[in-house]
This record gives sequence, C-alpha cells and structure tokens, in this order.
Amino acid sequence: MTKHTENLHQASFRDPSGYMFHDGEQLRRRIHPIYFPQYRALTDSGFYSTLIKKGLLIPHRETQAVEDGIVITPETIPFITNPYEWSFSMYKHAALHTLKLQKYALSKGFILKDASAYNVTFHKGKPIFIDTLSFDFYEENTPWRAYKQFITHFFGPLVLAKYYGTEVFKMMQTHIDGIPVSLIASLLPGKSKLSSTVFTNIHLLAKMERKHSEDYKAETKLASLSKKSQENILESLFDYIKKLDVKEASEWGDYYTKTNYDAIAFEAKKKLIREWVLPLRPKRLIDVGGNDGTFARTITDTVSQVIVTDIDSNAVDHNYKQVQQNKEENMLPFVCDVLQPAPGIGFNNTERSSLLERLTDFQPDVTMALALIHHITLSGNVPFEKSAEFFAKFSKNLIIEFPTREDSWVESLLVRKREFINHFDFYNESNFEAGYAQYFQLEKKEAVAGTKRILYLFKAK
Amino acid sequence: MNFLYFDPGLGAMIVQAIVAVAAGVILFSKNVMYKVKAFFGLLKEEDDTYDSIDVDEKDTDLHDKTH
Repeated sequence: MTKHTENLHQASFRDPSGYMFHDGEQLRRRIHPIYFPQYRALTDSGFYSTLIKKGLLIPHRETQAVEDGIVITPETIPFITNPYEWSFSMYKHAALHTLKLQKYALSKGFILKDASAYNVTFHKGKPIFIDTLSFDFYEENTPWRAYKQFITHFFGPLVLAKYYGTEVFKMMQTHIDGIPVSLIASLLPGKSKLSSTVFTNIHLLAKMERKHSEDYKAETKLASLSKKSQENILESLFDYIKKLDVKEASEWGDYYTKTNYDAIAFEAKKKLIREWVLPLRPKRLIDVGGNDGTFARTITDTVSQVIVTDIDSNAVDHNYKQVQQNKEENMLPFVCDVLQPAPGIGFNNTERSSLLERLTDFQPDVTMALALIHHITLSGNVPFEKSAEFFAKFSKNLIIEFPTREDSWVESLLVRKREFINHFDFYNESNFEAGYAQYFQLEKKEAVAGTKRILYLFKAK
Repeated sequence: MNFLYFDPGLGAMIVQAIVAVAAGVILFSKNVMYKVKAFFGLLKEEDDTYDSIDVDEKDTDLHDKTH
C-alpha cells in the first residue's frame, strides 16, 4: 500500500471516496475503488469535461490508474481562500456556483453529495469547485442529501449577513461544518419569517430538525421528492440569493476620495511603486491592507499572481467586482485583519490552514504594506519589531509606507490617545527603521512627493 | 448506491417536500410577474455579475460531437 508513505493533505480525510496528498510540490488526489463506478460514469459521460470546459470545476488529469487506486492531478491553485475570508459578493457567488452545479448534476443523473463551502474557492478571478469527488449517482425521487449542509454553509450565513453585515461570516471560523440551523433561526429577526424562502428553508427546517432529532435508529422513512420539485428548491434559492444585498458602512468609506493628499501625490505614489516593483521581477505579490486593489493594479500587467487583502469587507467586495468586470485572472482579493489573521481550524487545528501557513507556502516575492503601519502600531499597539517579525515570516522584499507624525491620519490616531499620547512618542522614523532592521535590510528610502509619508524597500535578512 | 458519510438530517430530508411547494409557488408568481413587467416594459437589467443557474451546453455539445 502506498497509502502510508503518502503525505496526506490535512483537509481531506472526511470523504471515504479518496484523499488528497502532497507529491513533492504537487497536490494529487487518490481515488479508492469504492468510488470507481462514479468516477468512471462522470468521466465517460463527459460530465467532468463539460464542467471543466465551462470553468466550473477545477481541471484534472488522470495520472495513474491501477487496481487499488486511481490518481488524478488537479490544476494547481496558487492560494486558497476560506469562506470566512470572503466578501459578500464572493460568498454569494460561491453559493450560486454550488446551486448551479447541483442543478446541472441533477439533469445528468448525478448529485452533489455534499455542499460544503470549502468545496469552492476563487481561482483566475472566478469561483471554482475544487472537490472533484463530490458527485454521486442520483436516485430517482430522493431529496437532496446535502440540502441541510447548503443551508448551514451558505444560505444561513448569507441571510444572517443581510441583517447583521459580513462580520457574520467569521462565525464559520468557529463552526467548520456551518452555522447550526437552530442558531441561524434564533438569531434571525422575526420579520425574516415574512419571506417564504427564508421561512421554509430556515425557520421551518429548524423546527423539523428539532422534531426529528431523536430518530437514533434512522427508522423513519425518508420522504420522496420528485426531480422537478428539487429543481424548484434550487431555482428559488438561486433567485433569492442572487438578489441578496448587504447594507453596512465601510471601515474606510470612500477612502481614496477622502485621502489627505491630492491627485498629483496619488499618481506620484503609484509611479514610485511601479518603479520599485518592476526591477524585482516578482511572480507573486501580496498587498496587505491594499483596500480595493488600486495600488496593486499599477503592477498587475507584469505580475502573474497578485493577492490583495483588506480588513474592510466592502473594499474587498469592490475589488472583487472590478476583477469580475475586467475579467482579471491574476488578482485575488480577500478579507484579513492583520491583527487577528485567520487561525488554523478543524480537527487537529490543521483542516484549514492558518493565514500565515498559507502565506509562507505562497512565498510572495514582494509584499506591499501601504498606509498600514500606523494602524498596526497606533490602533493595534503593536511595537515596530513585532510587526517586522510578522512581515518577515513570509516576505522577501517588503515595500512599506511610513506615514510620519505630521501625517493627518497619524495626528488623528495620536490625538485619540488623549492623556496617553506620550506613550506613543516612540512612533517616529528612526525607531521604525531600528525595529525593522532586526529582520530586514534597508534597500531604498524615499519621501512620497506631496505627502508626509516615506516609502521604504526592505530585503529580508 | 449512496455513500452516507455524513448524516443528512432527517428533518432536512422531510422538510424539502414543503420547501419545494413554497418554491413552486414563488417561481410561478415570478413568471407571471415577469410577463406582466415585460408587457409594460418594466424589466430591469440585473447588476450581479454571476450568470444564470443553467449551464449553457451549446458550444460544448458541438465540440463533443466532432470527436
């Protein structure tokens, strides 16, 4: 058996059909004989190839086929984002994507046997389904087995976000198998029952789950459901989710229309960044706290993989909408609070990797942190050497902007410290440089014209 | 043959019959409203970038037949 020697991927032990493993740098998927009939049917009927051609399923090649296992090698995804890191539109699209796949599967005599939000991620600017073994045969007139999972992973969080904002998605960090139906139902306001879609799919579901929770021996006969009825459920969920909207104030508002520097300085900063980035010839770049990707977009024409994070879900959403509109394939936005990056979660704390683990694997050639350090240092009270340590964990080249004490944002942050303002006297250029010197070597330093800010280029030691 | 590797939830299996009835009513009234709005020229363009629930197979079918 090769099984024991293979380096298993920590996220794929739940499915008995097969598992993912690392073969050096390459991630591959081994399929057990128990899943051969499904795999053969899905391959031979052209089901897989249609989904792959349509960009709905991650492409794969069959790289080995022996009696006790088939190995397929999927296209590599440079960076995996998790549901708690998605903006509203991203979450919405992942949900719509899952429904679309289930409806298509149904029309071809298959089903999605699970509807986990972790089966979808974002790749080349679009949602893509990544669990190739999630399909099974459809049995005539059976309800959708993964229905409840769809509600706890997708529909519930989205409806909660409609009322309470996208912070709700972070609940997925503490509930790896989705938010419990009873919790979703109890959190939703009474008026949510006025929608027949929400009433039946959440409130009624919660009630029925309560009623049938003591069927320990699985004795009650399962109800039957025609294919047409199931299609109606899928379509009505699709329509409802597609129209969903979230209303929440942005952390930064229209940051760039309210910046403390003028259009000329803005262009000067863009030009400077491009001049510094190009000679480094990066293949992968991350812009931490990159808002809606405005500055990262000055270099997307030359970098093959750009990821942009921001704490503000609205900014990330704005970025994602631009990605969709411009059909950008090399830009991946996601939500991240630098002061509490996503932890490793699930069984053994390893099912979903922490942000730092994923960034270390991603190995960005350039890290950008523009207009961020004053927030980390003054709002987060993180000393310079600690933030330097953070960046050093995954950065080779660090382009970081330091707003001086005369910058109006910094002034405002300092004034708000009131009687403790003296505790922050350390916030200055020389202490910043000393803190970062512990992990980095200073390569370049230049004042951004028309601003009270300095741009630094550091190289990891 | 199904591999029940997680519990689908009995309540969730039963409730789908009722959900489907409600969904049928909504979809029916949506179609009626669509026709009414189309008649009066009130149709709005959708602003969400995700396309429809249906997989457009036209071009892929053609591709398959040539093989």
